Amino acid sequence: MRLPVSWLREFIPVVPAPEQIAERLSLAGLEVETIDRIRPAFSGVVVAKVLRVERHPNADRLTVCEVDAGPRGQFRVVCGAPNVRPGMMSALALVGARLAPPKSANRTDDELGAPVGAAVIRGVESQGMLCSERELGLSDDHSGIITLDDTASPGDDLATILFLDDHVLDVAVTPNRGDCLSILGLAREVAALFGLRLKRPRLRARLPHRSRGEVADRVQDDAPISVEISAPDLCPRYAALAMDGVTIGRSALWLRRRLMLCGMRPINNVVDVTNYVMLEMGQPLHAFDLDRLRDARIVVRRAGQDRELETLDHVRRMLDPDDLVIADGRGPVALAGVMGGLESEVSDSTKRILLESAFFEPRTIARTSRRFGLVSEASYRFERGVDPKGQVDALVRASVLMRELAGGREMGKLIDVDVRRFVEPEIEVSLERVEGLLGVKLSAAEVARRLKGLGINVKHKKGGRIIASIPSFRLDLREEADLVEEIARLNGFSDVPAVRCRPLREITVEDRRRQVTDTLRACLVGCGLFEVATLAFASAEQNRSFAGLAGSDAIRIINPLSTEFGELRRSLIPGLVATLRFNLNREAQACHVFEIGKVFYLEAGELKEAQRLGILSYGELALGKLGERRPQADFFTAKGMVETCLTSLGLANKVDFVRDPAHCVSWLHPGRQARLSLEADRLLGYIGELHPELASELDLDDRPVVVCELDLEQLIAYGSLRRNVVPPPRFPSVRRDLALVVDRDVPVGQVQKVVAQAGEGLMLESVELFDVYEGASLPAGKKSVALSCRYRAKDRTLTDAEVNQIHAQLAAQAVRQLGATLR
Amino acid sequence: MSTSTIRERLEEIRRQALEALSQSLEPAQVESVRVRVLGRNGELTELIRSLRSLPEHERPVVGQLANQLKRELEERIEALARELRRRRIEQSLAQPALDVTLPGMEFGRGRIHPLTQITGQILEIWTAMGFEVALTPDIEDDFHNFGALNFPPDHPAREMQDTFFLEGGRLLRTHTSNGQIRVMERRRPPLAVVCPGTCYRRDELSVRYSPMFSQLEGFMVDDFGKVTMAHLKGTLTEFLRAFFGPEADVRFRASFFPFTEPSAETDVRCIFCKGAGCRVCKQSGWIEILGCGMIHPNVLRAVGYDPQKHAGFAFGMGLERLALIRLGVEDMRLFFENDLRFLAQF
Ligand SMILES: [Zn+2]
Repeated sequence: MRLPVSWLREFIPVVPAPEQIAERLSLAGLEVETIDRIRPAFSGVVVAKVLRVERHPNADRLTVCEVDAGPRGQFRVVCGAPNVRPGMMSALALVGARLAPPKSANRTDDELGAPVGAAVIRGVESQGMLCSERELGLSDDHSGIITLDDTASPGDDLATILFLDDHVLDVAVTPNRGDCLSILGLAREVAALFGLRLKRPRLRARLPHRSRGEVADRVQDDAPISVEISAPDLCPRYAALAMDGVTIGRSALWLRRRLMLCGMRPINNVVDVTNYVMLEMGQPLHAFDLDRLRDARIVVRRAGQDRELETLDHVRRMLDPDDLVIADGRGPVALAGVMGGLESEVSDSTKRILLESAFFEPRTIARTSRRFGLVSEASYRFERGVDPKGQVDALVRASVLMRELAGGREMGKLIDVDVRRFVEPEIEVSLERVEGLLGVKLSAAEVARRLKGLGINVKHKKGGRIIASIPSFRLDLREEADLVEEIARLNGFSDVPAVRCRPLREITVEDRRRQVTDTLRACLVGCGLFEVATLAFASAEQNRSFAGLAGSDAIRIINPLSTEFGELRRSLIPGLVATLRFNLNREAQACHVFEIGKVFYLEAGELKEAQRLGILSYGELALGKLGERRPQADFFTAKGMVETCLTSLGLANKVDFVRDPAHCVSWLHPGRQARLSLEADRLLGYIGELHPELASELDLDDRPVVVCELDLEQLIAYGSLRRNVVPPPRFPSVRRDLALVVDRDVPVGQVQKVVAQAGEGLMLESVELFDVYEGASLPAGKKSVALSCRYRAKDRTLTDAEVNQIHAQLAAQAVRQLGATLR
Repeated sequence: MSTSTIRERLEEIRRQALEALSQSLEPAQVESVRVRVLGRNGELTELIRSLRSLPEHERPVVGQLANQLKRELEERIEALARELRRRRIEQSLAQPALDVTLPGMEFGRGRIHPLTQITGQILEIWTAMGFEVALTPDIEDDFHNFGALNFPPDHPAREMQDTFFLEGGRLLRTHTSNGQIRVMERRRPPLAVVCPGTCYRRDELSVRYSPMFSQLEGFMVDDFGKVTMAHLKGTLTEFLRAFFGPEADVRFRASFFPFTEPSAETDVRCIFCKGAGCRVCKQSGWIEILGCGMIHPNVLRAVGYDPQKHAGFAFGMGLERLALIRLGVEDMRLFFENDLRFLAQF
């Protein structure tokens, strides 16, 4: 809501400085986002009355005018405008005045044009000039000189009477404070904050007709139209006033200026007045062309069978049976509270109008406005709740302005159909609750004083209880806690002390998840990986290609930002690949990253979310000395990182890397991928090089991109951060090597496993691989696997003879089980 | 074996050993000569052992000769080894000095994402203050994200948070305030809990917004009167001083959230301009840090608490925002683009 300080002054004659108002409003919950300084684009221009207009002796199109500028004197000016008439009020630039410079792209707002001088025009001296709106930088209108209404007096400074020298506060109004979406509402708040008196604008009006039922009958009420509410649950009050003799035209300059300062576009005098009253009082009004309303009837009802309405913006809207509409005798003429219908719109030829001022239920307006994606200034206010007692005042205010600015007269009485007479709700406040919520003791008198300042009437009761009756414009106050806030907020809670909390209790919740993720992060950072965070959205295509580890399908977003973000990701891999691409486009030569994040999927119809670890490694590892080759990322560098992680979680022995041609991951290189299985049968994840086809689509070179995705949920469930710590051995170990020649397709892991099993109970401490050899010295189809076996006894030094015997026993068993030969 | 052959053999061993030593340039070569001649199975050792088979009267003479040779060789080997060691040290010292400005070996340290780091620091402060950590789901239902938090259906407050909707009437949480409901509906007061997590709103990724971001929700509930607005102010002031430094100046402003009443926003005196006004604080001298308030009675009712008996405060803060302020940068996108040149600075 934009608040011009000049407008605020009509409610509070003496206001504090704009900066002070802004600070206090902000502390009290109405944040002032900016203060705009408004300055006129001219200087030295005053109001002048045209006394006489004569033809210029030497030019057909020019006139010579005598003008009266009040205390500033009378002047003779040459004028070229076609609309100059004796008796009109206009704007006179005195000699020395400065006008708005011609519009150009790089002009700054503070610059003024060259001073006006006394000039001789075709032989006649001109002592100044009468100005158009364009010459004063007020609009693009250059068709004639400015016409001012007779509220101005000759000699007045034009900038002052047109509110051109002003400050405008931009106030962010929270959704609960619909009452502050008006100058009046903000003025009430400012008055309360500074303890000032509020002056209401004076209203002159005939007594309105009051109707207690749901119908205001035309004949009975001496009105040109009848009004009926047939949906009282959605519209408890509907007031209307017909006016005759209206002349549609442009609004007075001061009114147009004010609308523009508040961010609204002037349209015509009738529409502008309705908008002006809405800005001033917070009550949206709508003007119908009375002659376009059929059967002289207004019915407020649900759309029901009526399916269509063409709104002001020339869009045909398909109605829902529950949409609230304003109908005439035949069908809908407006989408209640949201937008008027095109058919009944006020046009240039309109003579008679019907002004509507209603209270619509916030929920129905919100629903309709959201369904059509149509937010208007009116719907915005109705949704937030307008003052249920404000309808008639707004109509009266509008009629006063209509008379002045559009020349209308009221036809018949004001109609006011009020189905639910509003009663001010009462809320009880106890001092004990105030203290219990705020932590500060306030006296009953102080509480009452603060509430009264906000327009809330209070009655004192025994036992420190106060009954507050809530004014109609503050229906956001619903219960005691709301009033406690009102008591404390005006000075930004500054009388609430800051008290330290004693922790409620000792807390020893072990957060395994965080421990596991912290451990993994430390490990991966040690391996040289950068942690990244990518967005959790994916396209349907990405989700199809990278299906992830679990679930049957992806979760679609019903209202996505774009199709590229149409679903929730099932896998971290697309985000990591995008990160690689992003960095390669920015001169990166390598990319080693990981992410710990959530994925989402459908499983048996349920929406599931789960944490994953994703790794992507590409290019040289930043490891090595000057002049030495650094290792290139490949399957085994990445596998090493994963093994490091598993070791850190105590899972190294529970996880197998399995080549499983039957369940290949399609987007990984078929010969360079592995499944990770936990406890033999649970799928923990996969690791592999990106499929060369995919890599070439991504425009990568031949170096492998290795990726890995692990199910963190399983790691968290299984991983053990506890260690079985053993003291370092006291006796030396003895090493014996073993070279086994086996078929080439026997996995080395299996050879190792067999040897380790064979050594059980034989004081075998560890088996380490140190060479794999295939070559000329071996039979075709065979490879040699060289292992180093380490033996140790806990209680003594083993002798050579003893070890030789054990080792021979182990070798024989391994040879038998693997069908191997010794090399 | 006769005495004369033994003499010849001794002479032979001596000649060969000296010959080998004269060709030895490395300590290892000297050692191998020592092992070959004087070792447990060395030539001379064997010979001396074999002397036991000689007639007793011949032993002293040849024994003496053999032992003399042994001593001689031992001394020579020791001297030569000493000499070679000395030479190596001299050689090493004679090497040209290193250019110590050449780079050291690279160890390629990875990095933890700045958001993770900041979140960790924040959680550490809260846990030190006695709050426990609870993690709650990203996929939520209307009740936990809105209804129980006192957002009536069709209420304009819902518009403050443009929501992503999923199938089955579910949605992506727009704030971590669902944590309050998730924890309170399972447990009874007293409670002091913080819930960090990811949230989602329909904003395009831009300098100021992201469709995905992190928040930390915190709340404390106890018997009525034990947790007041004053405790809220005290607790948050303590947190903000722990995070921004003990000199941080804190203020509270009234605000509106459907789930708190009274509601406030908490500002910290701008750490860049010390309150004088700068670009970061938009000339106001204050930086908005978090929203907070006393838990709304309707929220307590929604989880089955009696607002007459229990009260609590709650607060929520945007973690990216805190990180941006801490780092003195303004672009939200930095956290999600993962430019390695950005990440490398942490
Ligand atoms: Zn600043």
